[in-house]
Amino acid sequence: MANDPPLPHPDLLAAIPRLRRYARVLTGEASRADDLVQETLARAWEKRRLWAAGTDLRAWLFTIMHNVFVNQRALSRRDAQNVSLDGEDGGAAWQIPVRPTQQTRVELMEVLREVGRLPVDQRAVLMLAAVEEMRYEEIATALSIPVGTVMSRLSRARDKLRRATQAVPGETPASLKIIK
Amino acid sequence: MSALPLDDADIHAYVDGRLASARVPEVEAALARDPALATRVADLRRQNALLHEALDPWLDEPIPERLVAATAPPETKGRWRALTPYFAAAATLVLGLGAGWLARDLTLEQAGTPTTFARQAAMTHVLYASDPNRPVEIWAPEEQRLVRWLSRRLGLNVHAPDLNGFGYALVGGRLVAGNERPTALFMYENADKQRLSLQVRKRPGAGETAFRYAVEDGVGVYYWIDDNCAYALSGQIDRAQMLAIGRLVYGQLAAADAGAAAPPK
Repeated sequence: MANDPPLPHPDLLAAIPRLRRYARVLTGEASRADDLVQETLARAWEKRRLWAAGTDLRAWLFTIMHNVFVNQRALSRRDAQNVSLDGEDGGAAWQIPVRPTQQTRVELMEVLREVGRLPVDQRAVLMLAAVEEMRYEEIATALSIPVGTVMSRLSRARDKLRRATQAVPGETPASLKIIK
Repeated sequence: MSALPLDDADIHAYVDGRLASARVPEVEAALARDPALATRVADLRRQNALLHEALDPWLDEPIPERLVAATAPPETKGRWRALTPYFAAAATLVLGLGAGWLARDLTLEQAGTPTTFARQAAMTHVLYASDPNRPVEIWAPEEQRLVRWLSRRLGLNVHAPDLNGFGYALVGGRLVAGNERPTALFMYENADKQRLSLQVRKRPGAGETAFRYAVEDGVGVYYWIDDNCAYALSGQIDRAQMLAIGRLVYGQLAAADAGAAAPPK
């Protein structure tokens, strides 16, 4: 058949929860995150010829998502003054609801909040390395940056998060307020 | 001053399990010598664990329908556009028939007859999977006879995929009635007596969504359509496992088709 080979659908469907999670951390907003995932899937079908069958579909989808995200940001901020992706703009759009549940520890809410305060580039690297557990080389490919940059962003992100996650012996986190 | 040239990147790689295994002993020796470094590594590990604890629950959220739809190949749309100038009139007719068909489905559904493939697959699965003694007509030891019989009745070559990799052994199979077409059912069972079924029938008319995951009355159904057939995998297992099994079945059927389609030169 002259048709392009289809993408393996079960893999595509199975990748969605992780794509949504990453998108939500990138955009800081659930509905924008789903728009980003939808656009990523559409782009994946358009570019399916570029996917080498048998290679990691998920890593490829993360690469596409990154490109879509960067393009969307560039468009939406074309007129803004501070376009730098490295800017300290992390927390601005962060609208991830932190829902206190029975099990939710103050600590977890603090972690989410701190992730939201990171510049988006550090957030991306942290997510892919610490949460998605991708290899550093894969992350470098997905984000089109050198491995050295992956390492320095990861290091900076983790240093900032340390404040929120560090175990302080003999000190309870009672001073933190739970906001319902 | 440390005797080993450990840098920050090595520490991160170690924490993420990405350090070359030959270098791991170096790092571990350094950790034993240097309590400050050991604390730092423990903090980073804890940080990773907290991130997972905070973010992993998101993975279990239901997937919105629009995203499930976006996983289907967009081919239909492209072909349709290409044909539009020539078949505008035919399109109107088809749309009319389609609407009529939908109305018919709705009527049947209200009369208590399950009409969507997913729904029917789920109900059929429950009907037979819950039968302890006679879930199938022909048992696994006679798999070849089963496959021949079902292939003849369906008018196409069917295979029973091998799900042993997931701990599911073939129990057997049977022919079941579809709304319009006979359907082949293969039943599988794992060590916990949990049952799964794969139902196969000839491809229904064009226009159905090619791939879907649905939950019907507590039964997860993953179904998809290829050039010839419609498949539905049903069982009371979670989505992640269902998709993993779906991936295996899909792969095995694609391989079988590729084998069958190879030019007999």
